[in-house]
Parts: sequence; C-alpha cells; structure tokens
Amino acid sequence: MSKIQRKFVVPGDLVVKGDFEPVANAYRDADAVYALKVGLSEIEGDKVRIIPLAGRYIPRIDDPVVGIVTDVNAFAWTVEINSFFPAFITASDVFGKRFSPERDDLTRMFNMGDVVLARVAAFDRFKDPMLSVAGPRLGAIRGGQLVKVSPVKVPRLIGRRGAMTKMIEDSTGTRITIGQNGYTVITGPPDKMLVASQAIELVETDAHMAGLTETVQAFLTKSMGRNAVIPEPDYDGE
Amino acid sequence: MSAAERKHEFVDVLRRQQIEEGLAADRRLDGRKANETRELSIEVGPVVKANGSALVRLGNTAVMVGVKILQGTPFPDTPDQGVLTVNADVLPISSPYEEPGPPDEDTIELARVVDRGIRESHMVDMKELAVEPGKKVYAVFVDVAVLDVDGNLFDATSYAAVTALASARFKKVSVKDGEVVQMEEMVKLPVSTIPVSVTAGKVGEFLFLDPTGTEEAVMEARMTTTFDSEDNLCATQKGGEGFFTPEEVLRQMEVARAKAKEIRAKIKEAVKNAGKE
Repeated sequence: MSKIQRKFVVPGDLVVKGDFEPVANAYRDADAVYALKVGLSEIEGDKVRIIPLAGRYIPRIDDPVVGIVTDVNAFAWTVEINSFFPAFITASDVFGKRFSPERDDLTRMFNMGDVVLARVAAFDRFKDPMLSVAGPRLGAIRGGQLVKVSPVKVPRLIGRRGAMTKMIEDSTGTRITIGQNGYTVITGPPDKMLVASQAIELVETDAHMAGLTETVQAFLTKSMGRNAVIPEPDYDGE
Repeated sequence: MSAAERKHEFVDVLRRQQIEEGLAADRRLDGRKANETRELSIEVGPVVKANGSALVRLGNTAVMVGVKILQGTPFPDTPDQGVLTVNADVLPISSPYEEPGPPDEDTIELARVVDRGIRESHMVDMKELAVEPGKKVYAVFVDVAVLDVDGNLFDATSYAAVTALASARFKKVSVKDGEVVQMEEMVKLPVSTIPVSVTAGKVGEFLFLDPTGTEEAVMEARMTTTFDSEDNLCATQKGGEGFFTPEEVLRQMEVARAKAKEIRAKIKEAVKNAGKE
C-alpha cells in the first residue's frame, strides 16, 4: 500500500496540484483538486478523497438504514433517518399490492416511535428517499438500545471488513445493528449494552485519531474485566 | 404555542422501554437512582452590573438569573409593600426546540412557579421594602435567562433566583422633603428563609427526582413542591396529562422535603462563600 498523506481542509482549500482524480467530496478545477467539505484529505496514488468530520446522512440506494417512525398516515409512514430529507415507507411495500386504506391499519405494523431497519429503495435529488422493509432481517426492531452516531463516523465504527463492530460485539456479548445513517441498535443484557454503547461513543469521539483500534481495545479490556475474551484486532492500516 | 405542539425531542420506543425498565430496577439512563438529583453547581455574582446574580447548572441545564432593585410605586392594594416580579426567558440558543418570540405557556408557567415559591415562602419581607408607604417602594426585578435546556427548568431556575436574591446588595434610599436621596451604604435584601423547589416526574408507577430532557419527553406527569427553611410546604405545581394518587403525593412530599434540605445547604454555602470575597 502506498503511503497516505492526510491534511486538514475546509471547502475551497487546494488539496493538491497536478494530475489527480477527485474521488469523494472534492472537485477538479484546471490542474488542481480542491476540497468540498470540512475534513481530512487523503491522497492515495492518484486518487484524492476528503473524509468529512461532520455531516448528515446522504441516502444511497440499497444502503441499510435504521430509522425512527415519526408519523403515520393512511398510506405511508414517515421515517426520520438523520438525513436532510424525511424518508417514507409506503403501505403497499408492507401490505402488498392488495393494500386498502379502508381495511389495513398501518399502526398495526409500525407505530410512531418505532425503530425500523430498512433499505433505501429509491432516492434522487427531486424526491424524498423511499425505504423498503422487504428483505431478510428488515422490519421493526423490538428490543435493545438506540445509539445515534454521526454518519461520517460509520466507516470507522464498522472498521476493515467489520473488524471494529466484531471486536465490540465479541468482547461485550452483544449484537450491533448499524445503519449507514449512523443510527445503531445494540441488543443484549443491559449492563453489556452500556459498555457497548460507551465503546461506540469512544469510536465516535476518537474516530479521526490514530490508534483507534488500540484505544477501543483498551477500553473494552478495562470495562469487561480481566476474564473478558478480547479478540485480537484486525489491523485496519492505521 | 399550543400545548399540542411538541417542544422536546422525539423519543423512540427503544429509549422509552429502556427508561421504563430502568426505573423498575432503580437505574436511570444517566446511572442515577430515582431519588438522586444531578450535579448542582452554583456560581454567585457572574453579572457585575446586577444587584445580585447567579448562574446555576443542574446537569446539562444552565440558568442565569439577574436581580435588579429599583424604586417604583406600590400596587394600590398593597401600599405598604415592595414590588417583586419574576420574568423568565428561555433563549432560542438554549435548545433546538425553542423559537424566538414572546414567551410561550411553558415559559410563563416557569416564571409563575418560581415566583410563587419566593412569594409564598415570604423569602423577602415585602413590608421592609417600603420607602414611603403608598408612594415610593423598592421594586425587585428577578430576570431569568435559561441558557441550556436539559430538563427540570423549574428547580434550576428556582435555585438561581433564590441565590441571586439572597446575595443581592443595593443602595438604600430615603425621602427628604419629598425628594428621594440615595445613600452610599450597601444593604442586603431582608431575606428570612430560603425556599427550595424539588420536582419529580412520573412514568408508570414510578416517581423520580430531577427529570432530564429525555425523561421529560417520556414522563406522564410532574409535581413541583417548594419548602422553606422550617421545612414547611409553601408552594406546589402539578403538570402533565397523568395523575398522582394521594399516597404518591404524600410520599413524594417527604422525599422532596429531605432533598430540599440538602440543596438548601448548598445554596447557603454558595451565598456565604460569595460574601467572603
């Protein structure tokens, strides 16, 4: 792997001059690449990307998201997914094509305040994101604890091939469901959930620091006691 | 703003479940027990131009209070008494759910409940605030600015207002040949007792002290009780759609009475330490 150069940038900052390709949150003007967001720039080979430090969730089709039902009407549920837009799930997605607003009561499926795991089914810049709960594991989440993480920190919470999540899950004995929008549900015994949520908070606050895996590992070892089984971290190239 | 509009965060069912299950096991979201209040810090005199002021932090809730003592005319029905006014303002920067504009119902209720605690405990001897009965009296303005909202504004504001009043200093005036003469001597307000309010929330069958913002969004009812230095109950306020049984009210009063003693000691200490400097 080639060496990655990191630099703190604000929108409009010159990241690099020369023949580089902007990959994410950057743009090209003449013979230079500039930043589009506040964050850390990364140059890897000839590719430039900005890792944002803050921001809301920008829906992408097929992303798994965790949302909170904030409203129910006769035909659809409105779901809050920490985005610029309110998402919705149509009744026909749940009840099928034979859905009838006279016969079917939407609140019997999801009610206000319910937490749902869904998939982004459709989204473009002109329409609010539409979610779907058709698929394995999708639907209402009936137990556990919801932790709200900034969407830009989600990649760090997952880690390389899910290493970070697996480490927290295995050492605390909980199950963690992460939505790409940052909303995360932990299930397990209450005291274990507390440790897991604190570990997730630690990932969020220290996401941009070097040695994150070791920090979280040390925290888990301390919190879970000497007898805890802490798996060896799968190094993610820090 | 109508009462139907939501002025707090939207709480999902998982969080609601967690709060309910936690209360059954006497463990709240922030690790407190039902009868524990959050950490209380009292700063006396942050506003140098006010006669008295206090900045109170109760957990993440922060309230600033300033007391101004001026001269005014008494109300016709109480010609031999001074004037006391509590005015509250919940600033738009204090919470994502607050908007600029005239005070809403909740803000008016806040000012009234705090005012009632001070007035009905007879904390300030209003008769001593008369300069010339029927004509000239001292007017005490208690101005509340809520800086950060995370639940239990009643108690935080009450502690701040009481601290500001107890530590206030002002220049005495006298009337000579119909002219008001200001004297150089700085005097304290005639404070005889320290009223302390304690608020409890109710979820299901459980009562808990000092609700946070999240707990306020979930709770069905709240009860504020104010006690004076002799442990007499001098003011109450009940809010929310839920109810309290007579047993719950009596039990909560004893819990609040004991808690008020602890908090009164803290307020007295803060006022005393500020007086030394």
